[in-house]
Amino acid sequence: MTSNLTLIFNKGTKRSQHNFIPEMDIDKVDLLKIIPSSFQREDLPLPDIPEVKIVRHYTELSRKNYGIDSGIYPLGSCTMKYNPKINEVITRLPAFFQIHPLQEENQGALELIHQLSELLIEITGMDGFTFQPAAGAHGELTGILIMKKYFENKNLKKNKILIPDSAHGTNPSSAKMAGFSIIEVRSNDAGEIPLDHIEFAMQQGDVAGIMLTNPNTLGIFDRQIKDITNIIHKYGGLCYYDGANLNPMLGICRPGDMGFDIIHLNFHKTFSTPHGGGGPGSGPVGVIKELVPYLPGPHIIATEQEFVCREKTNNSIGRIKCFWGNFGVIVRAYAYILALGAEGLKRVGQMAVLNANYLRVLLKEKYHLPYDRICQHEFVLSDRGIPNEVTTEDIAKRILDYGLYAPTIYFPLIVKGALMIEPTETESKASLDNFVNVMNKIYNEAKTAPELLKNAPHNTPVKRLDAVLAARNPILHD
Amino acid sequence: MDFILHDKETIAEMLTSIGVNSLEELFQDIPADLLLKKLNLPHGLSEPDLLRRLEELSHKNKIYSSSFLGAGCYYHYIPSLVDFVISLSGFYTAYTPYQAEASQGYLQAIYEYQTAITRLTQMDVTNASMYDGSTALAEAAIMATVATQKKKLILLEGIHPEYVEVVKTYCWGQDIHFEIVMEDTLISKLDESVAAVLFQSPNFFGDIENVTELVQIIRDKAPKCLVVQVMTDPTCLGVLKPPGKFDIDIFVAEGQSFGISPSFGGPGLGIFASKQKYLRKMPGRLIGKTNEIDGEREGFILTLQTREQHIRREKATSNICTNQALCALASLIYLVSLGKTGLQEIALQNFQKSHYVKQKLATIPGYQILNKKPTYNEFLVKCPNVNELIEQCKQENLLPPLIISKYFPDMKDIVLVCVTESNSREDIEKFIHAAQKASNKNIGGN
Repeated sequence: MTSNLTLIFNKGTKRSQHNFIPEMDIDKVDLLKIIPSSFQREDLPLPDIPEVKIVRHYTELSRKNYGIDSGIYPLGSCTMKYNPKINEVITRLPAFFQIHPLQEENQGALELIHQLSELLIEITGMDGFTFQPAAGAHGELTGILIMKKYFENKNLKKNKILIPDSAHGTNPSSAKMAGFSIIEVRSNDAGEIPLDHIEFAMQQGDVAGIMLTNPNTLGIFDRQIKDITNIIHKYGGLCYYDGANLNPMLGICRPGDMGFDIIHLNFHKTFSTPHGGGGPGSGPVGVIKELVPYLPGPHIIATEQEFVCREKTNNSIGRIKCFWGNFGVIVRAYAYILALGAEGLKRVGQMAVLNANYLRVLLKEKYHLPYDRICQHEFVLSDRGIPNEVTTEDIAKRILDYGLYAPTIYFPLIVKGALMIEPTETESKASLDNFVNVMNKIYNEAKTAPELLKNAPHNTPVKRLDAVLAARNPILHD
Repeated sequence: MDFILHDKETIAEMLTSIGVNSLEELFQDIPADLLLKKLNLPHGLSEPDLLRRLEELSHKNKIYSSSFLGAGCYYHYIPSLVDFVISLSGFYTAYTPYQAEASQGYLQAIYEYQTAITRLTQMDVTNASMYDGSTALAEAAIMATVATQKKKLILLEGIHPEYVEVVKTYCWGQDIHFEIVMEDTLISKLDESVAAVLFQSPNFFGDIENVTELVQIIRDKAPKCLVVQVMTDPTCLGVLKPPGKFDIDIFVAEGQSFGISPSFGGPGLGIFASKQKYLRKMPGRLIGKTNEIDGEREGFILTLQTREQHIRREKATSNICTNQALCALASLIYLVSLGKTGLQEIALQNFQKSHYVKQKLATIPGYQILNKKPTYNEFLVKCPNVNELIEQCKQENLLPPLIISKYFPDMKDIVLVCVTESNSREDIEKFIHAAQKASNKNIGGN
């Protein structure tokens, strides 16, 4: 079989490139005087490729890739919103882009982190933040380690944690990395947490607390949220807020007021920083006053004259990442919050929820909506009633044929054949209407021409790929 | 400023379709006492006002004409096309390529990244990236304990102190014990209970270890113990023998040197590679090549996802989800832009220029080079007057080297100097001059 693919490594030429090598302006000595030959490599199997070929290769690849600048990106729980272009300019300002994490003259950077912390304290209702975590899951690990340390300090053996069955997969995984075992809480028919279940669990005495996202992955705001956090606190536990779904709450309702003690945010979701194909993100962690000393150090303190760093306190969990976190991402989030201001942020929350409910109401005419009630940022359809044994995956692949991206599929696990849809606030009504039209067409195709779906996609650079083959015989490099 | 598209009429129309009378009704599930009255934040800013504000703030940071500071974050020249490519919308506004057929461009690029790193390191497999060097090392430590079913680690002295702290935090989370040992006591500490030995080379102080010897010592004394190498500036691999040739089990590195700006220390790139036999224990995403189900063409797809949290939840090999994809792309573009010739030449220049500075400093009264082993682009210097050296550097508009007592309070009057290809001869002469002046001042009675 001749390959349809040309990798960059096949574009080398015999003419070597010197475009990026500064002139050697000092006298060289024999390299062997610096480093023995047994320490040196014999071969470096990388090609020399002309700049023009590289640019054309990756421009072509970028065209074979869908992004939020292409159109609606309705991945549930991923909050694929527009990435403002000005933020790319700001993060590349030389005095942000070129500064070293260990340099002394860094007052601008420290002030920025400190100011952002103040803004987030107001937005979330927490009392202090760390910006070290590099992504949401990293923030979760940080937050759960704070819980661990808190109970260690109190000499309490609490090694279990409550996590609902609707939770993001990172929740149980992060909790396990912090040494906790997981008690899964089964959601009730309304998609909410049964109070008696958590009360019973907390009575056992070895449960540290709960990890929750609210609104949850069904897009449902748990009406009893205050009761939940009260029960956990009654037994001395702590409540962790997974901020992946914070977008619809901006300016509307704060995790701190719901009774949460520890939260993480996803700057690459709620605060518009680019997802970059899966990162870099930033997952700051906020805590209530009592837990501020537990945050990873160093802490930035504002004195009257300047911003200073205080190395970690005795209670700190310690470092979770080198240096200050993903500063380049932090700068973008700060710019976004300043740009939107109080009114703009509230508008984000409102429009995100408006858009989601608009899609929900129009799509439930044909598709099964297992939790049929007002949603927040997202909602979940199921594959029930789709004709001719067409699957959720078939639908997702067919959406690609219409030049759009598919929702999150087969998640949350509590909905069979789930299609989890989050449009975000940066889609127009026309874009939403187009998505509904496509979904309705696909439903009709499932009825009249199911093979079209089962073999989809047809219009993409490749047809449906063999995931089983890929896993059975992993080819991970050339 | 905002990025909303609806006008009032559209909002009203949509509310009608939903069957509610107001935006407030959409939040009916939220108890009234939890609804926020007012967000106490400033008004939003227009783009020009925002830019002015942030420019002003950035000016409170200082930019130097040249840097002699490294210690985990390095100044190397970044080809212009790196930023050009990572700024293409199809890359930077995409998300994790869950729908492979609409994400072939990114999947191929990350497959190429995995290929480039595999070739550079001569390891068997490379993942799609971790957050940074420090977390990659922590994940490698955990992976070693899982692979060996042992809960004890040895860290060789010389690992970046902040990396050690991160490993410590992760290990505490899982009740993994570790000890930091000096090279000469390593043999006595090795036994069957050790899951892995972690070492950095070139290490934090600049020393390039004799890896052949080190691996031999470990294999002889504890054959089942894994050997994990970490590196903070992998440009040295342009010249140095790669970890795959030393029988290293897991290799991790900070990839910031490959085309990523310092940006106050983040985002960087966690490079993670291992032997084939540990593939299914690896954390993070992997891109694989496969075929169409009903066709002839090849394509790329996220693979071995049953290791990952969204499928395995608490049984996953790691909790990592979002990684550093765009930074991995940047490093790929850097590596293919420099190519074999460029990467070799960059490494040579780092060796030569730092050697040059070393020789020059050694001739100035009061300075002493402390490294006994070969070094790459960093080395330790005992100074007659550290504070004066720092002051003189600043006067020459040079970012001064690291005062090592920041991390090791007992190591007094010592700096860690970093010299790369980005330091021109003129910069270097200025630095030598600054060192000279600091020495004179000291000798002059201070």
